[in-house]
Amino acid sequence: MAHMQNASQISKQPGTGGGPLAWLTANTLTGMRRRKAAMGYLFLLPTVLGILIFTAGPVLVSFGLSFFQWNVFTAPQLVGAENYQRLITDKQVLTSFLNTFRFVAMAVTTQIVLALILALAVTQKMGRFFRYYFRSAFFLPLLMSSAAVSISLGYMFHREFGVVNYYLTLIGLPRVPWLNSSTWALITVMIAYVWHQLGFTFILFIGGLTNISPEILDAADVDGATGLRRIWHIILPMLSPTLLFAIVVSVIGALQVFEQPYIMTRGGPGDASRTAVMVMYEAAFKNLEFGYGSAITVILFIVIMLVTMAQFWLSRRWVFYQ
Amino acid sequence: MAGLTSLGMTLVACSTPAAPQAPAAEQGSESAAPAAEKILLRVQGNATNEQPLADLFMERNGQVEIEYINVTGIDHEEVASKILSMVAAGQTLDIGFAATEATQLYAGQGLAEPLDEYVKRDEAELAEYFADVHPSLIEAMMWEGSLYELSRDFNAANMYYNTELFAEAGYDHPASDWTVEDFLEIARAITKKNASGETEVFGYAWTNRLWGSWMPWIFVNESNLLTEERAPGGEWLWQTFYKDDPAAEGRGGGFRWLAPKANDPANVEALELMQELTREGTAPAIELGGGQTLQGFFTSGKLGMTPAGGFWAGGLHNAGMPKGAFDVQLFPKWKSQRHQFGTGGKFMFTGSEHKDIAWEFQKLEVSKEGMAVNGIFNPVILTTPSRRSMVNAEAFAETGPEHWEVFYSTLDDHPDTAPIPAPPISNAMTNIFTKYTGLAMTFELTAQQALDQMQAELEELYARQGQNMYKLEG
Repeated sequence: MAHMQNASQISKQPGTGGGPLAWLTANTLTGMRRRKAAMGYLFLLPTVLGILIFTAGPVLVSFGLSFFQWNVFTAPQLVGAENYQRLITDKQVLTSFLNTFRFVAMAVTTQIVLALILALAVTQKMGRFFRYYFRSAFFLPLLMSSAAVSISLGYMFHREFGVVNYYLTLIGLPRVPWLNSSTWALITVMIAYVWHQLGFTFILFIGGLTNISPEILDAADVDGATGLRRIWHIILPMLSPTLLFAIVVSVIGALQVFEQPYIMTRGGPGDASRTAVMVMYEAAFKNLEFGYGSAITVILFIVIMLVTMAQFWLSRRWVFYQ
Repeated sequence: MAGLTSLGMTLVACSTPAAPQAPAAEQGSESAAPAAEKILLRVQGNATNEQPLADLFMERNGQVEIEYINVTGIDHEEVASKILSMVAAGQTLDIGFAATEATQLYAGQGLAEPLDEYVKRDEAELAEYFADVHPSLIEAMMWEGSLYELSRDFNAANMYYNTELFAEAGYDHPASDWTVEDFLEIARAITKKNASGETEVFGYAWTNRLWGSWMPWIFVNESNLLTEERAPGGEWLWQTFYKDDPAAEGRGGGFRWLAPKANDPANVEALELMQELTREGTAPAIELGGGQTLQGFFTSGKLGMTPAGGFWAGGLHNAGMPKGAFDVQLFPKWKSQRHQFGTGGKFMFTGSEHKDIAWEFQKLEVSKEGMAVNGIFNPVILTTPSRRSMVNAEAFAETGPEHWEVFYSTLDDHPDTAPIPAPPISNAMTNIFTKYTGLAMTFELTAQQALDQMQAELEELYARQGQNMYKLEG
């Protein structure tokens, strides 16, 4: 009521005069709204500019470059859709995209399931020390450099003297060629990736679980929903928005996997663990085919966009918003 | 933005190299600039090792400040990729470092400045340098008739061996003309397996890359990955500096690698030999990369032999291996005993605005004085000096090996020894080489299948990118 009064007083006050900024400086309700909006846009401006310059700009330049043949040192040559035509028939590129999809399926599933199990375990009743200890321990790998993690795990999975195979042989199992076989290389890379990334998803789930109302869980207890039924019928639906976010972010991250395969296997043996970002990097920065590398980037961008859109579309069927 | 960058790069690439000015000492040139105007020379290098060289240079050229740009990578290809990315992003460097893997890559892209005019101008000053450096190393620094680098260090793939494991198996230092049969006998004798048949000590191991790798076996089997040809030109250099050196006979203007010959029967035979060693457990599963794992194997007494050059002496010493625990011999003889080597040195970027000063720095680096203060040679030798006079007992006194003479006698006794094949498209070529090598060594393909597929992919690469690598007549 008071503010309404103030507003009416404001509206009755004379304007601050004409000029080009009169629409903004006018001492009216509309002018005030405009000023508020302008202030909002002003605060948004750095972020918007950042996105335009550092994200949208390079995306557009990449898209443009994909129609050229360019090695950086000579003038770009317009080749039309030639890069895309080559891409369709390039076995290595196709293999790397297939590897990436396989990797996403394995990594995201493992990451989500493991993180959920760990989050559920940590949110059980336990002493404060243990709760903080486990939360920190599971989150810690995320703070490490992925290069360092890849090198360390590369040594651990070494066929001849890796600690993993050492323990396998102790229990009478044969040494596994973790990094030296087409069967195992991508799986090993996935293990390293999940070990490193798990903390992020884990923390998301911790947050999501903490936000579930205790009253709902108590009511479920009263109704006799315990154990897996409680998880399936109560917790997962309540957690579904967090789950959606975690899946979308994990899929986008996994589609762009680079460091682990590059450091641990260099994409080998053959192309067994080569990923889409790896072939993009090799095309552009090793083979100096920036146009071709850009074409691969554009395709990857479209794939990520389509997959993300599909996830949001499908989420309408299973995500429950309170 | 990209277009502008490209245009800029094009102008740089196409600009005619300026004729060198008289040396700074003679006419003052850039070093006579006002004290307020410090000239910054950006040099690719490792300040930890090379700072004393920079200090020496700055002491003599008060107007110059040297900033080292350290670019690291798992191998030379990766370093080259990073340098190309830096250049593409518009970062300027005055002096770069290139080993054989990238020498033609930079020269072929017009990024490196030919040094011919500078060398001709300072002929008297450089005569002593060339007299001290084997012509093979100089020829490897040439592309299409011009010299692009002054060789500073080199590494041929010799055979390092663990002396203790040799002694345990009852073998002494092998003769310089030992054969592949001798090698196989020793490698198998050294190999130790546990009760379950798993190898615990390997007779031989190697790393999947271009240098070293199984390339030495290709060379001693009288073959190569690519066809070899010598570019015309360079006569001025051979006539000026190597007139009476029989080792310089028949040399030209640098190597041309005009076509792939990956599936040559000799190469198939060499790869089959490598497969056999791994299959029987004499050699471990191979890895990509720079050889850190091999060094771990070797220093812990789990590896008998591996291809390596002088750089390994310092590496093993720094890893705690005492002098006498390892030694070196020429690579064993098969159809020939032709070795492969890589050599490295500094090159001048065409885009440098301080070419004359850069040249002075390049000369200092390969001078006896410059090499003496360089941390890659002192106090512990980390690579083989290109200067014959510096490959001496004193240089290897602290580290070993006992038979250090092998490093330079590789060139002297086998003048057909040549650089690893590394055309201007070497990065893409190496990717293909390591990829199919990996598939063969995991036994997913036979040697023949792997090399047939390697050949097909290399032919595709040559058709796509190898058309204008060399200035071919017609």
